[in-house]
Amino acid sequence: MRTSETIITAFTAALASLALPAAACAAGGGGHADMGVSLPLYSVLPFAGMLLSIALFPLLAPKFWHHHFGKVSAFWAVVLVVPLVLGYQGAAVYEILHIVLADYVPFIILLGSLYTVSGGILLKGTLRGTPALNTGILAIGTILASWMGTTGAAMLLIRPLLRANAHRQNRTFMVVFFIFLVANVGGSLTPLGDPPLFLGFLRGVPFFWTFHLLPHMLVAAGILLTLYYLLDRHYYRREGITAAPDDGAQEPIRIEGSYNFIFLAGIVGAVLMSGMAKWGDISILGIHRGVQDVVRDGLLVLMAILSLAVTPRTLREANAFTWFPIQEVAILFIGIFLTMIPCLKILQAGSQGELGFLIAAVREPLHYFWITGILSAFLDNAPTYLTFLSTAMGGFYPGVAESEAVMLLIEENPLYLLAISAGAVFFGALTYIGNAPNFMVRSIAEEAGTPMPTFFGYLFKYSAPILGSVFVVISIIFFI
Amino acid sequence: MKIEKILFPTKFREFAFEALESLLVLKDVGLREVVLHYVIPREEVGFVPYGGYLKDEEERLREETRIRFQDWQQSLSAHGIGSKIVIEVGDPVPNVLALAEKEKVDLLVVGKKKKTGPELSFVGSHTLQLITRSTVPTLVSKHMVEYESSGQMVTRLNDTIFQRPLLATDWSEPSGRALELLLSMKNVVGSVSVCHVIGVKIAKNLDKSGLHLLEKESRKRLDRYCERLTAAGIPAAPHLGAGRSVLEIIRIARETHATMIMMGTTGKDRLHEFFLGSNSHRVAEASELPTLLVP
Repeated sequence: MRTSETIITAFTAALASLALPAAACAAGGGGHADMGVSLPLYSVLPFAGMLLSIALFPLLAPKFWHHHFGKVSAFWAVVLVVPLVLGYQGAAVYEILHIVLADYVPFIILLGSLYTVSGGILLKGTLRGTPALNTGILAIGTILASWMGTTGAAMLLIRPLLRANAHRQNRTFMVVFFIFLVANVGGSLTPLGDPPLFLGFLRGVPFFWTFHLLPHMLVAAGILLTLYYLLDRHYYRREGITAAPDDGAQEPIRIEGSYNFIFLAGIVGAVLMSGMAKWGDISILGIHRGVQDVVRDGLLVLMAILSLAVTPRTLREANAFTWFPIQEVAILFIGIFLTMIPCLKILQAGSQGELGFLIAAVREPLHYFWITGILSAFLDNAPTYLTFLSTAMGGFYPGVAESEAVMLLIEENPLYLLAISAGAVFFGALTYIGNAPNFMVRSIAEEAGTPMPTFFGYLFKYSAPILGSVFVVISIIFFI
Repeated sequence: MKIEKILFPTKFREFAFEALESLLVLKDVGLREVVLHYVIPREEVGFVPYGGYLKDEEERLREETRIRFQDWQQSLSAHGIGSKIVIEVGDPVPNVLALAEKEKVDLLVVGKKKKTGPELSFVGSHTLQLITRSTVPTLVSKHMVEYESSGQMVTRLNDTIFQRPLLATDWSEPSGRALELLLSMKNVVGSVSVCHVIGVKIAKNLDKSGLHLLEKESRKRLDRYCERLTAAGIPAAPHLGAGRSVLEIIRIARETHATMIMMGTTGKDRLHEFFLGSNSHRVAEASELPTLLVP
């Protein structure tokens, strides 16, 4: 037998082995409601493979990954989708369409619109990096992140911060704290801030409920900003800078493309509207979606189109705007969303599912905060959030419809949701792979000539000692 | 208006060096320096998903490019022309335009599309953006092209581009500047054809006498252009066309065996460009000849 035939035969056999138990359960009357009970534990392997690919390929084979990440994502999606559809047929097709139409599409539309609109805002002018000014930029970014997304705020401010500090010798720590605050912690207050929170919003968490994270955010941001200021002042003095260099090219500070803030307000308004209005349901390919959600997605696309139409091309060029990062997110996340279907279903089945042991082990808010957090740091935080939201709902309300379970969780056990939300958002800063904006900021900083630590350098020299201490404080104050 | 400094951005495609070589004759009309420019697309080295930036890859690409450019520099130096290498990471179109402005070049040279698709356009999206937005004269070089003529594929080598240029004029200020540029190249230009096309849009609103009047006026203006060229020592012949401007310019260019088409370009805004198009840009897209557009 030729090698290619051997590979095909082996692959088919593997698919069949994955599909068989599921097919047996489906034949036994299991509809999509029972999928989580009948799915075998190894059906989560494609999800694990997908997340491990994201974690390991950039470290071990960055060039390969850069050029082939789409194929890797497609591979894991196919490895999951084919046997799932073979085994569960209509129920699997329903789940796939549901996660794509109800989760993935709105998720990408929100990220895309925030990215497009914020890419049309340009901060210009001569900034001279002093400890006070830098701390101010980080504080502003932290505030903005909840309203224009961590990606949007990071893209708006990272280049001005780098330009302002081009004359400084020590810049690495600035970018690291920028990732901590602007690309992560700052996005904890609204569903616009960080992708996990938007996924929670799509599952029924009210828009303003996330404001309950304000105390947690204030503690984290307060500690980090204070620490940053002290560090920057230390380095500033050590560098012996008595006055900022004056090259005679003083340009007043100004914001160009400020009309894009109107479109940002439009995005906030559209998301808010979809959380408050109830205009009935509409069926798209057999998937019921709220009319208000479809209208919201349309409005978000409209805001992005308007921003593209009215913002001069030269302004986006000055921002070094490129579609590449958002394309990457869209390609990777279709793989993530598809492969996480079994994981979510099994967790939603509670103790009846194959991951019942996990649900039994994770009991206290503190557990949720740290486990959601640590996994968010090494996997992407958006799917991790959904996984542990499902874990909590499976633990407290097994078999209860998702939207109902979310409301019950908020009413009866809000501390759990706070712990999951804070863990997913805050720990996203622990590694470069915890949250999408982290790698964008790193890339821009390195292109601008700021040396950035390696994956482990970032983790062991900066994030683990600094953020680890902050998380211990937060645990003591809020979750014990 | 004189070509002393050229910006030559390249992606090292086939015939890029030959295209550069075909410009060296401009030394006889004052060419002093060529700026060799390569933009490493940001996406090639940056934004590795969840990974950051490929610093080593950037270094490798820089070194590779430097070695290639240094080889080209030897050739330029042998012709007595100075050169400078600029390699940067970024977005090709804005980076090229910014460098053209910074270096104050007199001519920007851009390449044709790698392959001509079914739409038969010689100009890719980057080149189209550059010729639309450039504020300096821009040459679309098209060193070797393949195109369909009378049902057959024809290969054409454009290696003596300044030999017999066709100056297509619409009497605009940019057309006047194109004439000035042509005059500055008298030592390398063999002969010139000057053409004007009475467009369909104008002709259809005129009666026969009005059309005759327009024809007379157009011929007079063409003669004036030719007189200026002849006075400068460049043999010139007028050609008047009528009908669709782009097709007529291409027809006249073929009939006069032109080696290049020169036109003024008004740099219309995006909306105008989208709805109405621009004759100069469409000629650059459709003609198999190198096209020099003067803003």
